[in-house]
Amino acid sequence: MAKTQTPKSTGAKARRFTWNRLLWSLIYPRRKHRIVFTPAGLLLTLLALGIGTAAYNSANNILFITLSLLLACLILSGVLSWLNFSRVSWRLQAAPPWRAGLPTVAAISLANRKRFLPTYGLWFEVALRAEAAQPAGPASTITASNRDVRAALARGRQADATTRLHLRTRLDPLGEAQVEWPLTPPQRGRWRVELRAVGSLFPFGFIGKSFATGEEQSIIVWPAPVEYRRHGAGGARRQSGEEQRARAGSGGDLLALRRYAAGDSHRLIHWKASARTGQLLVRQFAEDTSEGYCIRFQSDASRWGQPEQFELGLSLAATLAEDWFRQGRLDGVALDDAPLLPVRSLHDLEAWLDRLALLPPLTTNGGATGTGEPPAGRQQRNLVNIAPDGVRGVAAYLDGEKTASA
Amino acid sequence: MKRRPQLNHDELHQLRWLLGGGLVLLSTATVFYMEIDAWTLMFVTAAAVGAVMFWPTLPARVPAWVHRLAFPVIVAFFLGDLYLTGELLPPIVRLDILLLLYRGISYRQRRDDLQIIVLGLFLVVVAGVLSVSLVFALQIVAFTACALAFLLNLTLADASGVKAAGDAGRGPPPWAVQVQWGRLFRRLREVLDWRVVTLGALLFAGVVGVSALLFLAIPRFQLENSLFLERFMTRKARTGFSDSIKFGDVTDILQDNSLALSVDITDPTQVPAQPYWRMVVLDEYRDGTFRLSTALRAATFSPERGDVQLRGVARAQPEEPVYWTFYLEAGVSRYLPLTGRFVQLRFRERQNFRFADRLGLVVLRDEPVSMTAYRVEGLMAMDVIPDRQMGAWLERATESGAEQTSAALKLELGADDLGRLARVVAEIKAGMEPDVEEFSRRAVAWLQARHRYSLQSRAPPGAGDPLVRWLDSSEPGHCELYAGALVLLARQAGYPARIVTGFKGGSWNGFSNNFTVRNSDAHAWCEVYDAAVAGWRRVDPTPGGSADTGSDTTAAGAAGERRIDRSWSARIDSLRVFWYRRIVNFDSRTQEEALRAVKSATQESGRRVRAALEDALARLKAWMAEPWDLRRLLQLAGGAAAAVALAWLLRNARLAWRDRGMFWRRRTAQDPVRREAGRWLGRLQGLPVEPALRADLERLRYGPLAGRPPLAPVVRRARQAWRARHEARITREN
Repeated sequence: MAKTQTPKSTGAKARRFTWNRLLWSLIYPRRKHRIVFTPAGLLLTLLALGIGTAAYNSANNILFITLSLLLACLILSGVLSWLNFSRVSWRLQAAPPWRAGLPTVAAISLANRKRFLPTYGLWFEVALRAEAAQPAGPASTITASNRDVRAALARGRQADATTRLHLRTRLDPLGEAQVEWPLTPPQRGRWRVELRAVGSLFPFGFIGKSFATGEEQSIIVWPAPVEYRRHGAGGARRQSGEEQRARAGSGGDLLALRRYAAGDSHRLIHWKASARTGQLLVRQFAEDTSEGYCIRFQSDASRWGQPEQFELGLSLAATLAEDWFRQGRLDGVALDDAPLLPVRSLHDLEAWLDRLALLPPLTTNGGATGTGEPPAGRQQRNLVNIAPDGVRGVAAYLDGEKTASA
Repeated sequence: MKRRPQLNHDELHQLRWLLGGGLVLLSTATVFYMEIDAWTLMFVTAAAVGAVMFWPTLPARVPAWVHRLAFPVIVAFFLGDLYLTGELLPPIVRLDILLLLYRGISYRQRRDDLQIIVLGLFLVVVAGVLSVSLVFALQIVAFTACALAFLLNLTLADASGVKAAGDAGRGPPPWAVQVQWGRLFRRLREVLDWRVVTLGALLFAGVVGVSALLFLAIPRFQLENSLFLERFMTRKARTGFSDSIKFGDVTDILQDNSLALSVDITDPTQVPAQPYWRMVVLDEYRDGTFRLSTALRAATFSPERGDVQLRGVARAQPEEPVYWTFYLEAGVSRYLPLTGRFVQLRFRERQNFRFADRLGLVVLRDEPVSMTAYRVEGLMAMDVIPDRQMGAWLERATESGAEQTSAALKLELGADDLGRLARVVAEIKAGMEPDVEEFSRRAVAWLQARHRYSLQSRAPPGAGDPLVRWLDSSEPGHCELYAGALVLLARQAGYPARIVTGFKGGSWNGFSNNFTVRNSDAHAWCEVYDAAVAGWRRVDPTPGGSADTGSDTTAAGAAGERRIDRSWSARIDSLRVFWYRRIVNFDSRTQEEALRAVKSATQESGRRVRAALEDALARLKAWMAEPWDLRRLLQLAGGAAAAVALAWLLRNARLAWRDRGMFWRRRTAQDPVRREAGRWLGRLQGLPVEPALRADLERLRYGPLAGRPPLAPVVRRARQAWRARHEARITREN
C-alpha cells in the first residue's frame, strides 16, 4: 500500500492582521512569495518609467496624472490578486495505487471560502520527484568527464522538472473544484508528489504572483506490471491430510469483513455493517480450494545479470502476486531468505509490493549466468522462485519447473 | 447558492473583440479636442472599426495580400506625411491612428491587443499634453476603465486555455461566426453578480482616488524645463490678436463665445468691473491695416530670452502682494493679456519670450499649443501707460522742428482723406485748442453721435481710405472702426495715438470665484499720448466703452458692480478652472501648501476631537458626582438599555448582511429553517459529503420557500454524515 503523508498546509494560512505586517508586505514580499513581471507588466513598467521621466523633465501635470493612474493600476492589480487568493484552500490528493509506467491521476482539490467573490486563473506548479538518493555526481567539472557532467546536469533538470496545471474554469464563491494531473511514474521506488507553488496572473496579467506551498506527499510506486507467459508445467499441489487453511477467495462462505478498497465491487459492500461503523466495509469470502502459491524473490545481486533483468524480475513477482491474490491463490510471500509471510488480506499484499518497490536498484551487473536454475534454499510447498531466464528474461519456477516467464 | 453560468471561450473572445474596438474608438476620439488635422482618418477609423465590431467576420474577407501590404503602406504614408507637412507630431499622431485602425479591423493575438492599449494611451496622453483640456481627465478615466476591463478579459481568456485565433486571410475564427450580440449581453447579465460589479466599481473609484492621492504626493521638483512636445508642432493664433489686424478681425472673434481667459485673483477687490486686458499695441496704419511698426518693435521689445520668470517695472508694495493667476486658452494669442505694469510674472514652465516694458506687453516666441498659465504679482489695472521716453522724444522733435517720424503720429493718407480728417478735427475742436483728455472726449462724442454700434458694418464704397470713408459717413460701426477712426482723428489733431487689441470686461464666475473672459469679449480701443501725464491715456470710443478714466476700469472694490455669472456655462467653466487650478497648475509650491493645509486640518481636527472628549468626560464626571436618586438611576438604566438595544440591532444588521448581503431581506435571513440549514452547511464545509445532501441543504438555505423539502430528515442525514466523517477522522488520527 502506498504510504501518504498528511498535507502540511491547505492554502493560505490566516495570520493575525497588523498594520506593520501589511506595510511591510507592500514593500517586501513575504517569504516564499514570488513576483515575476510578465512581458505586459514589463511594458507597463517601462511605460511608467518613460512617462515619469517625461513628467519630471517637463513638469507637466498631465504626465503626472498618467503616471499616477498607472501606479494606481498596479496597486489595484495587487489588491485584486490578493482578493483572488484570499480564502482559497487547496489540497494535493495523490491516491494509491501507483505503478511504474502506468498512467494515473493526481488531483488538486480546491475550495473557495469567499462568500461572493469567485477566484480565477490559478495555476499550480507540480512535480514528481524521486526520493531515492542519486548516485554520487562528479566532484568537480575539472576532474569529471563530460559525460558525467552532462548526466549530472540532466539529473538536476529532471529533478527540477515541473508541470504547470491551470484552473481553467471559475472557482465559484463557496465552491469547490478539482484540477487533475495525469502523470506516469517512470520507475518503482519512493517518490514525492509536490505541489511546489500556486500562482496566478489574475487580474491584468502584469504580474505573475506565486508562493511556495511546501505541500507534498510521499508515495511508493510499485513495480511496473509486466505481461508474462504461463507455462503448463507448474501446478499447485496439496499433500493429503494437510490442514486446510481458510483464506480469502471467491467462494461462497463469508470469511471476514474488511475495509472497502478502490476497485472492490459495490455488490460486496456490507451496508449494515458500514452504516454501523460509519465506514464502507466489504464482505470477504473464503476460497473454496486451498491450493495456493508462495512467492519468494531473491534480491541478491549475484543472482542477477543486468539491472534491467532485476527490474523485470521484480515486475514479474509483483504481477504474479497481484494476479494470484485476485484469484485467491496467493498463500505467502518472502523476500530473500526471510521467513515466509502469509498473505491474508489486501494489506499483506500491499506491504509486499511496497517492499518490492523499495528494493535498491541493481547498479552494476551481478555477473549471473542466467541459467534458469531455481535458487537453493529451504524447500517450501508450492513455492515459486523468481529467477533470471536467459540473458534478459526472467521466470517463475515452481519446484524447478517454469510456471511463468517474462 | 445559485450557481452563475460562466462565459465560454467564444463569448470571452467576443467580449474581447468589443472591448478592443471600444478602446480604438475611445482613443481616436481625442482628435475632437487635439486640434490636429486628422478628422478624415478619425471618421474612417470610427466607421471601419464600428462596422468590424458589429460584423466580426468582415476581416476574414480581406485578402491576405492586403495584410502583407498594410505595414509598408502605413510607413510610406507616414514618411510622405512627414515630408509634406514638415512637422513631426501631427504625422506621428496620424500614424498612431492608422495603426489603431489596422489593429482594430484585423483579428488580434494577445500582443496585438497590448499594442492597442499602448497606441491608444499614447494618443490620449499626447492629446492631453497638447490641449491640457478637462476632457482629457474624463477620457483618461474612461480609457483606463476600458483598458483594465480589456486586460482582465485577456487574462480570463488566456486562463481558459484557448488562444485567440484568427490568422490573416485564413477565414474567421470560430468565435466570430454567428455572433449574436444581444445574446452575449444577456449572458453577461446572467454571469455578473451585482455584488461583484459593485465591488469592481468601488475598486475602480478607489483607483481614481489613489491616483489622485499619488498625484498630490509624488514629489515635484522645479526643473524649469519647457514641454518638449511644443517643439514638434505649430499653431496659428486668432488673427485679431497678432501683429497686424484688418478691419473685421476682432469682430470675427466676437462670434466665438468660448472661454479665452480665466483669472484667479488673491484679492478680488483689485479687479475692476470693466477691466481692459491689453494684448497687442498697433501703431502703424497703412493701406487699411493697423500693425506693430518695426521701429516700435525694435525700440521697445527686449531680446528674446528663455526663463520661468520676468521682473516687471512696477515697484513692489509693502503690503501683502496680490497675485493674479492667468489661464490663457490655447489658440488665443502669443501676446499675454495684462492690465498694466506688474512687479513680477512667473510662468508655470520655462518659456521663450520678449518683454516690452514701455508698452506693458509680453509676447511668447511661439503660439502656445496648450493652455498657458502664468502668475503675475502686483499687476496694476492702468488707464494710463507711462511712457516718459515718448514725451522726451516729442519734446526733442518739437524743439528741433524736424519732421515727425513716429508711427504713432504718421498719417499715410491721400490729400482728400487728409482734407476730410482736417475738416472733422476742426469741427471737433470748434475753434479751441483742447488738451488730450478734452479732445478725446469730444472726438468720442462726435463719433458716437455720428455712428451707431453694429457688428454688421462696412465702409461705404468710394475712393480713398476705407476708414476715412466710414468716418465721414453715418454707417454703423464696430469697435475696430471706432478705435481706428479715433486714432486717425487724434493724429490729425497732432496727438500720438495707437490702437490696442485685447479683451474688455468679462464676468465673475459665481461658482469658482474667478474672472472669466470669453472670446466674445474681444475688443479694440485706442491709446492717446498725453504729455500732461507723460503716458498713453486709454480712450475707448465704442459706444458703451469708457471714454474717460472712469473708476470702473481701475478702482478696487468693484465687486458690487461686477456681473456675476451663474449660468450653466459658468458651471462648466468652473470645472475647467478647478482643473487648471488644482491639476494643471499644481507644482511644488502648491504641493507644499496642500501638505501644510492637510497638516493643519489634521491637527485642528485632533484638537477638536480631544477637546470634545475632554468636555464629555468632564460632564460625565460632574454628572456622576451629583447625588443619586431614582430619576438618575432610571436614566442610567435607560441609557444602558438603549446601548444594549443598539448593539443588538447592529449585531442583527451585521448578521443579515453576512447572510444575505442585504438588510431588506432580514425576514428571510432570520428564517429558522434557513439558519439551521446554514449551520449544517458550515459544519459540513470541506468534508466530502454526498452531493444530494449538500443540494438539499443548499435548497433549504437559499432556495425559495415554496416546495422546499422538510428540514428534519435532511438534518438527520447531515448529522449522520458529520458523525461518520468526524469519527473517521478521529480514527485516522489515532
